[in-house]
Amino acid sequence: MAGLPLPLPRGAGRAVLAGRALLAALRPCPRRGCGEAAALRAMGFSQEQARRLQGLQPRLGPERREAVAAQLLLLGLSAEAALALLEQSPALLRLPTEQLRERAEELRRLGLDGGRLERALSRCPQLFAVPRRRLAAAVRLLRERCLFTAEQLREVLGTCPAVLLEEPCSLHHHFQYAYFRMGVRQKEMVKARLFQMPFAELRNRHIFLERRGLYETPHKGQIQTNNPKLKDILQLSEKDFLASLACSTLEEYEVFKKLLAREEAEEGKEEEVDALYAEEDDDLDSERSKTAPE
Amino acid sequence: MAALLGGAAAALLRRGPGPGPGAGAVLGAGQRRHRHKEKWATTAPRIPSTRLALHHFDTSYSLHLGELWPSVRAGLLCEQKYGALLNNFSAVDHVTQELELLNATDFVSEALQKAQQSQRGAAAREAVRGSQEGCVQGRAVIQAETITQAESSPPFRASIIPKIKCYTFPRGDITRFCPARPDVLGLLGYYLMDAASLLPVLALDVQQDDLVLDLCAAPGGKTLALLQTGLCVSGGHLAANDVSISRTKRLHQILHKYVPREIRETVSVTSYDGRDWQDVDGGTFHKVLVDVPCTTDRHSAMEEENNIFHKRRTKERQMLPMLQLQLLMAGILAAKPGGEVVYSTCSLSPLQNECVVERAVEIAETQFNISVHVEDLSHFRTLFQDTFSFFSGCRLGELVLPHLTANFGPMYFCKLRRM
Repeated sequence: MAGLPLPLPRGAGRAVLAGRALLAALRPCPRRGCGEAAALRAMGFSQEQARRLQGLQPRLGPERREAVAAQLLLLGLSAEAALALLEQSPALLRLPTEQLRERAEELRRLGLDGGRLERALSRCPQLFAVPRRRLAAAVRLLRERCLFTAEQLREVLGTCPAVLLEEPCSLHHHFQYAYFRMGVRQKEMVKARLFQMPFAELRNRHIFLERRGLYETPHKGQIQTNNPKLKDILQLSEKDFLASLACSTLEEYEVFKKLLAREEAEEGKEEEVDALYAEEDDDLDSERSKTAPE
Repeated sequence: MAALLGGAAAALLRRGPGPGPGAGAVLGAGQRRHRHKEKWATTAPRIPSTRLALHHFDTSYSLHLGELWPSVRAGLLCEQKYGALLNNFSAVDHVTQELELLNATDFVSEALQKAQQSQRGAAAREAVRGSQEGCVQGRAVIQAETITQAESSPPFRASIIPKIKCYTFPRGDITRFCPARPDVLGLLGYYLMDAASLLPVLALDVQQDDLVLDLCAAPGGKTLALLQTGLCVSGGHLAANDVSISRTKRLHQILHKYVPREIRETVSVTSYDGRDWQDVDGGTFHKVLVDVPCTTDRHSAMEEENNIFHKRRTKERQMLPMLQLQLLMAGILAAKPGGEVVYSTCSLSPLQNECVVERAVEIAETQFNISVHVEDLSHFRTLFQDTFSFFSGCRLGELVLPHLTANFGPMYFCKLRRM
């Protein structure tokens, strides 16, 4: 085993990891190492996968590595998925397995089950590490302030798990922009996967359309609009967005983005109190009744 | 409604950098924020004038400009681009250097170079044609003919062009100019203006010793440009008039900051109603500039203050084409036979542009027995099309369209010759 070449691990620090892995490979194989490989194989990892796994964080004791790998498998990830996750974020190996288990349980309770959980974890491994309070705050925001139904929340988390990593203020701002400024409701937000696109990009596209006269904020009570669908605004590539929705050239859009960025920067300086981030009074609830601020 | 939604949400409705007043209730289309912060005043109009203006523009200009309107609209609603008109009366050399270091170029001299090159090219082809035979040369002949045709209507003569210099940043470059600084004599180095405003002045093509009248001169950008030619001073003369006394004050201030006293004293600034000009001084000017009051489209779309689309100014706005016509008539009557008049506005509206010119030509003919010829400025457009975005659909005159890559204008101008 010592003489066999190790494949380069994926993810950050691959050079360092490769170096270390190589060193590990050159060391004479201790009995323990062989034992570890056997344990991993018993769990369901192939020879190759076991080797890759052992290359991650080589200073770490094998018990840790085994425990974490086991936990991930228990959580329902396939061997390859678990390996990919760990290669992407080897720091996960340092987390206590209890934390992994609890976090996965939490996410499952929120509606991320089965394939969704696996996909979410693979896409955002930071979900394991983000503080519990932040997670809870994001969920509370989405349910109580943004008034997504439980079903809608599940859908949002499934399609855009990264919302759980967001600062609740900016998440709220993102939501409110779509709700008030664009006149979009929760159902459409979910369908269009609102949170998949970074807010700045959404704003660029929306205001570009608005200033061209192609998007109008609906008046109070107005149901029908001729506005392009949020889904199209968000999911078209920039090229297609410009060609079919904005009917404009890339050159114009590039200049526009620069001008808008400058407007933003200057407004930011002008505003004395950043009212947008005052969490107290901007509930949708206050549209209907006076609720006590949190 | 603003109160119900609460501060933050209402702030969102305030169109990003949008206009302040009553914006909670305002659901308009993309307006930039007014310079000063405005509170959620109940005294603010329920529907801001900028919104009324935009609605008006959407209705009329989408018809007139067709597919071009969305781009023009976005241009109107974003920060406009400026040009730096060089002040020849101050120490210009280091100013020129500074501007060129920033990558700005003088679009006037660039156009001149382009004109000279194609003229030289045409002349060379003429010579070639004279001395050779053959089908290769035949192609060159056809090319030469089309070029010389385009230039047969004389472009401005080379004499004035080097005198007027205006620096702009390249297409797509949104860099801003710093405010001009005074030189040792206390005169400012350049005047920041919409570069498109220079085009009517260039089209006027002032010659040495011309008597020039600027009928609606305030606030004074075009007047200053006329003075930069240096031609209407010694033998010639510049008369700058504006009906508004407060705006004429601005004109005086500009002259003070840019022009040395001995030159300033040659300019006669008056405050007559321009429509009465023929009673004052009929048929005496070689060149007349009639830069009329209009709906100032860009200002009206962006600024609440002094907005002509405010409800209380509806009558005034509706009377504009009539006022514009009267001013143009006065301008025509003030010109000598053979003299030239340039009519200009900063609006996109054909009702304030072509229609006024057409009507004036008709009235001059029928009521005053004066024949007026509309000059073709298409070669002019060709020269400046790298810097500005022109509309190709004007019946007469030329129109610079705002466009994000070249956000100058709107500026309409038309040249007339009194026969």
